[in-house]
Amino acid sequence: MSSPGDIPTLPEHLYVHVPLCRTKCAYCDFFSLSRSDLPLSVDALTSALVNQACAWGERGLSMRPLQTLYVGGGTPSMLGAALAGLVDAIGTHIGFATGAEITVEANPDSIDDQLVSLLAEAGVTRVSLGVQSFHDDVLHTLGRAHDATRAIAAARSVRAWNLDLSVDLMCGIPGQSMGSWLASVEYAIATGAGHVSVYPLSLESGTPLAAEMLLGRFAEPDPDVAADMMIAANEVLAREGFERYEVANYAKPGAQSRHNTAYWTGHEYLGVGPGAHGMLTTATARAAGFIVPEDAARVRYAIACDLQTGLQPAPRADIETLTAGEAAREDVMLGLRLTTGVDVALVERAGVAGLLGRLAGTGLVERSDDRWRLTEGGWLLGNEVFGDVWAGE
Amino acid sequence: MTDPTLIRNFSIIAHIDHGKSTLADRMLELTNTIADRDMMEQVLDSMDIERERGITIKAQAVRVYFEASDGQTYQLNLIDTPGHVDFTYEVSRSLAACEGVLLVVDASQGVEAQTVANAQLAMNAHLEIVPLINKIDLPAADPERVRHEIEEGLAIPADEAVLTSGKTGIGVREALEAVVKHVPHPVGDPDAPLKALIFDSYFDAYRGVVALVRIVDGHVRKGMKVRMLATQTVTDVEEVGVRRPANLPVDELGVGEVGYLITGLKDPSLVKVGDTVTLARNGTEDPLPGYREVKPMVYTGLFPIDGDQYPELRDALDKLQLNDPALIYDPESSHALGFGFRVGFLGLLHMEVVKERLEREFDLDLLATAPSVEYHIFRTNGTSEYIHSPQDMPDPGTIDHIEEPYLKVTVLVPPEYVGPVMELAEGHRASFKDMQYLSKTTVEMHYEMPLSELIMDYFDQLKSRTKGYASMDYEYIGYRTSELVKLDVLLATKIVDALSFIVHKDKAYARGKVLTEKLREIIPRQMFEVPIQAAIGGRIIARETVKAKRKDVLAKCYGGDITRKRKLLEKQKKGKKRMKNVGNIEVPQEAFMAILKVDE
Ligand SMILES: Nc1nc2c(ncn2[C@@H]2O[C@H](COP(=O)(O)OP(=O)(O)O)[C@@H](O)[C@H]2O)c(=O)[nH]1
Ligand code: SF4
Ligand SMILES: [Mg+2]
Repeated sequence: MSSPGDIPTLPEHLYVHVPLCRTKCAYCDFFSLSRSDLPLSVDALTSALVNQACAWGERGLSMRPLQTLYVGGGTPSMLGAALAGLVDAIGTHIGFATGAEITVEANPDSIDDQLVSLLAEAGVTRVSLGVQSFHDDVLHTLGRAHDATRAIAAARSVRAWNLDLSVDLMCGIPGQSMGSWLASVEYAIATGAGHVSVYPLSLESGTPLAAEMLLGRFAEPDPDVAADMMIAANEVLAREGFERYEVANYAKPGAQSRHNTAYWTGHEYLGVGPGAHGMLTTATARAAGFIVPEDAARVRYAIACDLQTGLQPAPRADIETLTAGEAAREDVMLGLRLTTGVDVALVERAGVAGLLGRLAGTGLVERSDDRWRLTEGGWLLGNEVFGDVWAGE
Repeated sequence: MTDPTLIRNFSIIAHIDHGKSTLADRMLELTNTIADRDMMEQVLDSMDIERERGITIKAQAVRVYFEASDGQTYQLNLIDTPGHVDFTYEVSRSLAACEGVLLVVDASQGVEAQTVANAQLAMNAHLEIVPLINKIDLPAADPERVRHEIEEGLAIPADEAVLTSGKTGIGVREALEAVVKHVPHPVGDPDAPLKALIFDSYFDAYRGVVALVRIVDGHVRKGMKVRMLATQTVTDVEEVGVRRPANLPVDELGVGEVGYLITGLKDPSLVKVGDTVTLARNGTEDPLPGYREVKPMVYTGLFPIDGDQYPELRDALDKLQLNDPALIYDPESSHALGFGFRVGFLGLLHMEVVKERLEREFDLDLLATAPSVEYHIFRTNGTSEYIHSPQDMPDPGTIDHIEEPYLKVTVLVPPEYVGPVMELAEGHRASFKDMQYLSKTTVEMHYEMPLSELIMDYFDQLKSRTKGYASMDYEYIGYRTSELVKLDVLLATKIVDALSFIVHKDKAYARGKVLTEKLREIIPRQMFEVPIQAAIGGRIIARETVKAKRKDVLAKCYGGDITRKRKLLEKQKKGKKRMKNVGNIEVPQEAFMAILKVDE
């Protein structure tokens, strides 16, 4: 380890949450505000986020350069030039390792050539673009702030500056046909993206879209339709050289998201900004001043979702602790979402070897080369396995 | 002994929520029977569930002393009667212990179905009826209209009706004065051998069975040997006393008095409501009229969700039965649900209350199958039998005909709802008898219908179709022949015995169809396809399919989603635990009640 003495080091993965969006999408239940609802200026927000990130370095932890930074939201591109400033400041204060993956999320309504050039200059390597669909009627149903033309233009800008591009797509949307869905997948591939994420729409209660469904404006989405669309996308993407490396994520060779992979493989990460989450080992957490029970092995925290206090240097946080066994079971659960699966040693540590053996009988999981994986038939039925794994029975 | 001319035994009767319990509380307060100001609200409803639901399940008796305006102090025995049709027999026995009733009518609601039913019970028992118009503090109170309804609808003179508010206490003293003035004092022969009516009983863990009694002739003292005529049980009287409302031992209960007897008996089935207590030797051989065996009317299967809880369920039923002899049960086993009990109840409310107590007081997780009634099966070979579970239905080829219990149902509604009530009746095989206007705002309708239809969600439907305005009452009128068939439900081509039910031939097709549709909605998708079929004697009459689950995974699972995802999985898991595994199909509890919600 590069840390001097026994002082724990800061995690190598940092997530920064930007709670800003142009308008609220009809299906969204995340915490985000429009610019006019934000109780502070964009510049003040940006410097508060940077301060909060840097404050971790003042907590008795030794700093080390970040392997990955992920600026998500909300809509980070709404910060405009300040987003480049944010990335730059984190590079200055915390530092990036050589070859670090630096991702920002952007929506087509708030990114153009000029912003991309600033981001590239600040060191951003990857843009995750919230396209969702290349069809205007579907975008309208979702209440997105952009249209297909802007989505194509935004993708082109990202590629023009040679940044890695990831495109988010959504299926199972009312009024979306299989044909239009597959066309969107083809468009995404055509943008030159090396990474595509595919999500089924989930209707969260309290959102305008859920309300419209209750009012009978459209029928409840059929889960089978979403399943069919996910399977069809899987086929098309595979044909074009994309590998599904996680339930919802596809990448060309070498283009997997390293930041997200860290979430799924039990690595520590910091979260900064209102509503952001972080995960620390107890050693790191204790060094940072968290009070942690004796038998805990892992700490998960969430920054309280309050802009006023949430942006103070020492944020109020909700804390959850996991024992070593729980942490291992959590890693098995998350690891099984990956096509690489989990190795038998972890399964053994989690105490679920017998369970997985039994579940193999249902055809949902299989073991080969000392690894456990979901089967080809089981990748959309993970919860059937995960619930038992988490319960440890 | 107290001079009988200074005793008044009375009961308060009312439609539910017209303020009976509140009024009783005020009377106890006024007579300083409960000095403690932090007295529990509504002392007479002593069970948790009674208080929560605002219904009285067990009868109660409280003695109070009231100094009337004539300067005399009277012994008043207030007997609170159960407030629900399930307990009509118990009500009739409580009334038999009285000489009069206070008929409470809500000043804004007016006369309702149970007002009529209770008033009729009181009239049949030849009791003096003292009308009382309550809740006059309400802005919507209209005592004049209500007075009119009492006179027109019930033919009870109401010009002297007492006006009260249980809430403010207005008129409560006047109500007690009216009791003293109008309710006749008890009359009996103090020199005759003991003759007392048991109008309720309960089980005390330390003392055994305690009977609440009204002395008709003679007297009873501690140490006497007594006999109960119906069961011919002989026992010693360990203690006599009165309830104020806590037990207070006294030396003797004489003619006209109301109190309790501690028998020392450990078997509650020996002490029956309505039975007559007399001396063991040289007693009367002439029982008081009106006694009958109470018989359960509604049956359901109760199964522990967790099969290991079967012994606990049996113990819990044993314990409940001590205080509720009307509860009967026999072991029942089901291929689908394992071991449980077939439990008989006086009615639907009784059933709900018992199930709730079992779950709450005994911490059991129970699954109830759809209630059924007791059918009388006549075989072609001349024999006959009663069955109370669809599982016991014999081969149709051996059945000559089947009879089922029928009710006379009385519905009171505002005239504008007569149409919806008629419509609902048609859907429930009810035959309309007659209808009359009680007043301009209330129509009384009479139907005859099978009990099995009444338990098919009839009451909830009646309430919702009349915007809550209808009130209902019923009485049993005996068994009648119906063309009934057993309808089976198959999941994944196997009959699930616990889902079978008995239905009229003409309704079988429609109900089978709606039921399979309902079950398709209720049964969650499994890892495999689950066909649902309804069948009569092997002939499939309806079919639906629960498609196999295709997708069950949280697509987005990033940093912040992980905790949420775990919580979701925990919730899913808990939900599964609440379901019953039938074969390898997870069936939610409500599936077994779905038939009750089938309104074709
Ligand atoms: N305004 C008013 N409300 C009353 C009066 N008496 C009872 N209530 C209310 O009416 C409801 C039913 O009363 P309760 O005594 O339980 O009725 P019961 O079902 O006949 O025993 C309760 O919410 C009481 O608080 C009264 O005189 N005036
Ligand atoms: S852009 Fe994303 S975070 Fe913002 S409202 Fe739409 S879905 Fe929600
Ligand atoms: Mg009451």
